[in-house]
Amino acid sequence: MSDPGDLDAPEEIGCLEAIETLYAYLDGELGDAQSLARVEHHLGHCRSCYSRKELELALTEHLRRSARSRAPAQLQARMRKLLDEF
Amino acid sequence: MSERRDSRRFFGASVEQSMDALYGAALRLTRNGADAEDLVAESVAKAWSAIDTLEDRQRFRPWMFRILRNCFVSDCRKRSIRPAEVLYDEAFRDEGEADLAPLLIEQSDEFLAWWADPERELINERLGENIMAAIEALPESYRMTVLLVNVEGLGYDEAAEVLGVPPGTVRSRMKRGRTLLQKALWEQALDAGLNAPDDRDEVNR
Repeated sequence: MSDPGDLDAPEEIGCLEAIETLYAYLDGELGDAQSLARVEHHLGHCRSCYSRKELELALTEHLRRSARSRAPAQLQARMRKLLDEF
Repeated sequence: MSERRDSRRFFGASVEQSMDALYGAALRLTRNGADAEDLVAESVAKAWSAIDTLEDRQRFRPWMFRILRNCFVSDCRKRSIRPAEVLYDEAFRDEGEADLAPLLIEQSDEFLAWWADPERELINERLGENIMAAIEALPESYRMTVLLVNVEGLGYDEAAEVLGVPPGTVRSRMKRGRTLLQKALWEQALDAGLNAPDDRDEVNR
């Protein structure tokens, strides 16, 4: 429960709700300021959810590195030729 | 005349910038390098012929990805492959979302213990090797959503535009796709001989 004297403190949420919104939060898709404040407040004092956030960030970085593909040189040459025809 | 030239310059530069991403997406759809190259070429030709339908140049990437995906679906139809089977493995669609968060919390402790392990560097190497296998094992609809958002950096509304679904569906697919990805990685780590935390306690004693 929030300190009744602290009117600006975000409403407390549980781990369940924090995890439900974690991906949208990390993807920058948590639109409203209230939800954002609630998640950040929870992450600020829940060690388990904070660790999960760190884990998710690291996994995303791994995913980004592993899944990137490079267009082969022959495709690049083919595309340049195609674009020249337009 | 000069408007057309401006369009052509913009289009050429945008295609060049997106080439790797387009090839990557095509590769994951076709699972074959030669087919992926053909798909990119076909999509770019189609996109140029439809350039007037691009209303906002800032949204070139989702617009282009959507054309690529539509070309793929159309090719599947021509080859009498049902695109629904290829694009949307809906086996998980009807599973309730309500059970998702408890699953994450349940999984969390073990997974976090693994993450905090001193062997993490070694695990990271394995992660790098295994992550694509885990991605490949995801149902198609989750795989494309996770890749579009996490790898290509599209916003939920942009990914929704590409996939032809509401943004709320992208949001729930991200949640579920990432959960399934973690589950697969955890299982792979165990298969690779990594001890579960309880077993490790046993060994350390």
